[in-house]
Amino acid sequence: MNRAEESLQAALARPAPAGEPGFLAALRRAGADDFGRLLLPTTRHEEWRYTSLAGLADLALAPAEPGAAALPAGFALPPAPRLVLVNGRIDPSRTDLAGLPPGARVGSLAAAIRERPGAVEPLLGRGPFGDHAFAALSDALFADGLHLELPAGVAVEAPIHVVHLTLAGAGQAVGAFPRSLLLLGEAARAVVVEHWTGSGSYLAAGLTQASLGERSALELVRVQDEAPGAFHVGLVGVSQLGGSRFTSRSVALGARLARVETRAVLAGEETENHVDGLYVASGSQVHDHFIHVDHARPHGLSREWVKGILDGSARGVFTGRVLVRAGAQKTDASQVSSNLLLSEEATVDTRPQLEILADDVKCSHGGTVGQLDEDALFYLRSRGLDRATARALLTWAFAAEMVERLPAPVREGVRRLVTARLPDGARLQEAA
Amino acid sequence: MLRIQNLKARIGEKEILHGLDLTVNAGEVHAIMGPNGSGKSTLASVLAGRENVEVTAGSVTYLGQDLLALAPEKRAAAGLFLGFQYPVEIPGVANLYFLRTALNAMRRARGEEEVDAMDFLAIAKEKLKLVKWDQSFVQRGVNEGFSGGEKKKNEILQMAVLEPKLSILDEIDSGLDIDALRVVADGVNALRAPDRAFLLVTHYQRLLDYVKPDRVHVMAAGKIVKSGGPELALELEKTGYAGWVPERHGAGARP
Ligand SMILES: Nc1ncnc2c1ncn2[C@@H]1O[C@H](COP(=O)(O)OP(=O)(O)OP(=O)(O)O)[C@@H](O)[C@H]1O
Ligand SMILES: [Mg+2]
Repeated sequence: MNRAEESLQAALARPAPAGEPGFLAALRRAGADDFGRLLLPTTRHEEWRYTSLAGLADLALAPAEPGAAALPAGFALPPAPRLVLVNGRIDPSRTDLAGLPPGARVGSLAAAIRERPGAVEPLLGRGPFGDHAFAALSDALFADGLHLELPAGVAVEAPIHVVHLTLAGAGQAVGAFPRSLLLLGEAARAVVVEHWTGSGSYLAAGLTQASLGERSALELVRVQDEAPGAFHVGLVGVSQLGGSRFTSRSVALGARLARVETRAVLAGEETENHVDGLYVASGSQVHDHFIHVDHARPHGLSREWVKGILDGSARGVFTGRVLVRAGAQKTDASQVSSNLLLSEEATVDTRPQLEILADDVKCSHGGTVGQLDEDALFYLRSRGLDRATARALLTWAFAAEMVERLPAPVREGVRRLVTARLPDGARLQEAA
Repeated sequence: MLRIQNLKARIGEKEILHGLDLTVNAGEVHAIMGPNGSGKSTLASVLAGRENVEVTAGSVTYLGQDLLALAPEKRAAAGLFLGFQYPVEIPGVANLYFLRTALNAMRRARGEEEVDAMDFLAIAKEKLKLVKWDQSFVQRGVNEGFSGGEKKKNEILQMAVLEPKLSILDEIDSGLDIDALRVVADGVNALRAPDRAFLLVTHYQRLLDYVKPDRVHVMAAGKIVKSGGPELALELEKTGYAGWVPERHGAGARP
């Protein structure tokens, strides 16, 4: 066992918090047992072949303590309704859930488990992450997260912000395991925006499970702006009933190593699943996007598109897996990975994996890896822009396509975060 | 204003300009005509500073400076403008933002005050009238999805905003309908002034009906092989290039 595994085992051996219902105690025990058996994935694990957790293995992770520590420099809280978690626990002083329509339940998962265990229990499983080491850890160690429950027909217009702050003390790495559960009844609608940030050296491993009722619509925005010393593992599990529409928009900027795994099961007919990703990696950052779409029923549509901008000796990994089951005729699935390499040393590994068991389907995949277009650079320079500004502007243009797809209320904030990450991005403070 | 002497340039291993001489004085309009592949766009690229063209001999003096020593953006700041034969599409960069960034880059380089977004909007509105466009064209990405003719008009719009001293317009008239040709010609004529000059690369007389050139040059196989007044363009319209183009690469043209 490595240092991280030893420290996690020690955390798992601690007695569970008192007063939890029996089903949760059982869930935690099974999670601890599974993690003891699985341990952290290595590159020998097929799904982690290009993403090494060796850096994480060296960290001794202390259980994250609750704390009202200061916000990371430059981070401003989003407007209400917002739920703020510090080290995986809700910080009531920063949480403000004003502005929700009647009928919408939005709040703490731990509270929901306490108050309505019967309603939460059936939904709290690992879903599509059955044998996943980080899902097992989540079961065993999660403290809290967002619980969202929308009855049939309820629509929340304002984005619901969930801020995940992980604040590690000097010299002590911590682990945080926030868990969120989103349940949308028939024709309900919501936009949830997860912000991930922090300070110091830590593991932020989140599991967000969404269950979409018939004709409901959920847009899940993830803004990953973790500290440079962070390891980020984000698991997103989605199950969709007929006519529902799930949209994930992920913007990954921070962390030493970040992996976002989205696994969706399209369990009803005529469902739509959109997964957009934009990542900006430099230095020795590793950004990994793993997307699995399971088309189980006919007339499903899925669109996966991940764009990467890589500088320095950064590495990008894209795995797009589409499974079209035997009965899922008229499935229309596409996956695209587009990458812009700004340096000679940056690399991208792209793995499309199509498994098609139905015969009347439309499935496509495409991948591009390229540099900035010399003709466009010259065009801009011929209009007076210096080389660095021209490069920054073209790099921004590559990213802008994804930023523009974000819901209007968060677009401007993300635009600032993205331009700040781009080489010479300071030259573009007012771009677009 | 512009003095090109014995200019030789190559792209990769292939020499394309074989010792070209040309002088353009302030206040003048020059037209360059010549068969496909004779090196007209290559000349324009060399003047604007495209790095894939290597100058192997000769000199270019622009407003008293060694033009070839300047980076493309410095040439732009010095008032040189290239209207591209094939303008580039840049999705994701709004045309309006691009125009303002370009204008401000030049103003900065010249030590002038930058214009803010509000003031620029007023400038842009004025210039849009010139090309008979509404605002939608400047809200789109640079040339994104523009038709061939629209791209050319966008070059003229940029020229109108940047107010260059020397405008090199490479086939600005290709693919234009009759009204657009007028717009382009008006754009050029509006900018004509004693301290400005134009180098128009064109295949057709019709642009020259609207913008009367002072000199017309025939370029063939990487050289200027004949120069004359406006009547030369009319003559070419009738006779074609048959007499001017060398039979084989490297053979001399008619004196
Ligand atoms: N990147 C390149 N690599 C190789 N050859 C090139 C390149 N660019 C231009 N050439 C060649 O240089 C020659 C001159 O091209 P150029 O575009 O300057 O011609 P032109 O006079 O502008 O022609 P047109 O009237 O068709 O626009 C042509 O033979 C062309 O094929
Ligand atoms: Mg040409």
